[in-house]
Amino acid sequence: MNVKTIIENAIKEGRRKLLEHEAFEVIRAYGIPAPETGLAKTPEEAAELADKIGYPVVLKIVSPDISHKSDVGGVILNVNSKEEAVEAFNKIQENVKTKAPGARIVGILVQKMAPKGLEVIIGGLRDNIFGPVVMFGIGGIFVEVLRDVSFRIAPLSEEDAIEMMKEIKASKLLEGYRGQPPVDKKSLAKIILGVARLLEANPEIESIDLNPVMAYPDKAIVVDARVILRLK
Amino acid sequence: MLDKFFNPQSVAIIGATPREGKVGRVILENFKKRYKGKIYPVNPKYEEVLGLKCYKSVKDIPDEVDLVIIVVPAPIVPKVLEDAGEKGVKVAIIISGGFRETGTEEGEKLEKQVIEISKKYGIRVIGPNCLGIYDNWSGVDTFFLPDEKMMRPRKGYISFISQSGAFASALLDWMALKGIGVSRAVSYGNKIDVDDIDLIEYFGEDDKTKLIIMYLEGLKPGRGRLFIEKAKKVVQQKPIIIYKAGKTARGSVAAASHTAALAGNYELYKAAIKQAGLIEAESFDEIMDLSKILLSQPLMKGDRVYVVTDAGGVGVMLTDALTMQGFTLPRTPDDLKKELREILPPHCIVENPIDLTGDADDKRYIDVLEKLLPRDDVDAVVVVALPQIPGLKGELFDYMVEAKTKYSKPMIVIMIGSHEAEKYGKFLEEKGIPVFESPERAARALKALYAYSLIRGVVSRK
Repeated sequence: MNVKTIIENAIKEGRRKLLEHEAFEVIRAYGIPAPETGLAKTPEEAAELADKIGYPVVLKIVSPDISHKSDVGGVILNVNSKEEAVEAFNKIQENVKTKAPGARIVGILVQKMAPKGLEVIIGGLRDNIFGPVVMFGIGGIFVEVLRDVSFRIAPLSEEDAIEMMKEIKASKLLEGYRGQPPVDKKSLAKIILGVARLLEANPEIESIDLNPVMAYPDKAIVVDARVILRLK
Repeated sequence: MLDKFFNPQSVAIIGATPREGKVGRVILENFKKRYKGKIYPVNPKYEEVLGLKCYKSVKDIPDEVDLVIIVVPAPIVPKVLEDAGEKGVKVAIIISGGFRETGTEEGEKLEKQVIEISKKYGIRVIGPNCLGIYDNWSGVDTFFLPDEKMMRPRKGYISFISQSGAFASALLDWMALKGIGVSRAVSYGNKIDVDDIDLIEYFGEDDKTKLIIMYLEGLKPGRGRLFIEKAKKVVQQKPIIIYKAGKTARGSVAAASHTAALAGNYELYKAAIKQAGLIEAESFDEIMDLSKILLSQPLMKGDRVYVVTDAGGVGVMLTDALTMQGFTLPRTPDDLKKELREILPPHCIVENPIDLTGDADDKRYIDVLEKLLPRDDVDAVVVVALPQIPGLKGELFDYMVEAKTKYSKPMIVIMIGSHEAEKYGKFLEEKGIPVFESPERAARALKALYAYSLIRGVVSRK
């Protein structure tokens, strides 16, 4: 499915938030690297997908009614075999049934697990005055507490995106900290620019959170994507 | 087009009145005092106002009218604007309040009517609900505050744009007191038409404007990107200092994403300010500090700042303040050290900050500055001249005025004290050498000059 169709379908179904596999597909279309994924409807499918993708994988619930997946036991990390995949599939179904009864379940996403890197957040939104804007910051659960983020109004250049990274207080983390090698800023810049283009080209999108994005010395990959639409 | 607002050949004041204390009278008096073009009072109640023939309608004026100034009550504004449109008037300042700002349905409706009429006749509008224009060159002055209440500043080259009328008038009054020259000031109120973008473009091309100050609460929806584009061009000609009011969070709107939760109004403006190349003043004091340095000093070619002081303590304070602004004070190069050693007594310190100590006199300062100012590896000099020491008799300041023209290198002064400091400070500022009362304010101002130099692309060494 292309981007327009994914967005149209969601709007038709009255969904303000794209499902995670949809969100990944949308960002991929704009050159933003997302992990390999597949949507499983049965434990067997999950096992096959896991085998195909390669271990370790993560299994995540896909439901239009669940916003914080971890809170309902909807995420299982570090799945390392077919058997574990089947087990994880069943476990997630069970958790969701007890903790979010009545939630519609589209399936369970099997996703290649990204190795530990530096977690950053890249976001974007459509502002009433400035139009599309992008955000960069150090990711993780404290992002709203620390507020260590920087913004730019689109359109912006690669240079602007690099400058955004230098602007945050914790920018030293990107340069390599305590023996860590520096992360690949150009790959991060590419994601920032991708988010800007995505917003420019799709006026139905209200905001985007890519959190976390794992940054490595030679690349960066989005681990979690949230795309919010503007419903008329 | 906007030029007709600032340089009209003729103006009609709709709502002019002889009644004491009324807006329609103050504005007419303002024009009579300073404006050289033709003035037509309009008010159906009078045959004559303050010795000028008064017209029942703008349509009765037997001559062309460039600018109409409207001060009648809001409900009558649409009617008189329609008349002006029929007359062929192209620009209008609507001073009257009582529109959208009231938050009433009636106000909203009237504002819509005014917008429609202005579009229908192609009239450009400043206002409503504003103080309008103060133009020191043409004498257009719709600030309805009498001279006794608001002093008019002397002619100069600072223009400013203010979303707040009260702030604009307070600033004008204050600048008048301080002897700061003003070119043109605009308070645009509800900005139904002419807005920040139009005004920075106009001032950008205006040869009577060398620096623009903006007091901004918010841009109009959808205008952000264009504002950045236009401002980027203007700042290549002249600096724009912006004070953004309303910095606190947008409130607790439940946000659907982290990005939305973090994107406060001010955060986005800060990004826009950076991208547009504006210089942000973070406080009221800074507006003036930054104005005076940006208006009077040449750009910096690099970040190498040298300090010459008669007070070791202030030298240290200044070093701290400059470092906190991101400057690194270079160490005095060997050749310069040698030269300074030759001319200075042994107890003076030749390492930057160069400390001439409490027994310094004018000559000692001048000798050192003569070595520093011609050097290519010196990008700016801060002179700390505490006038309490007996050796400072004023010669230094005469020298600095000459050196400013001779070397055209950024040079600022820190002076702390009473009568002497005030006297010398005033002298220097009149000659275009900015004086600061604290190291922190001086450092912040110098940082703004450096930031603007970067924006203009003249910094060859970062």
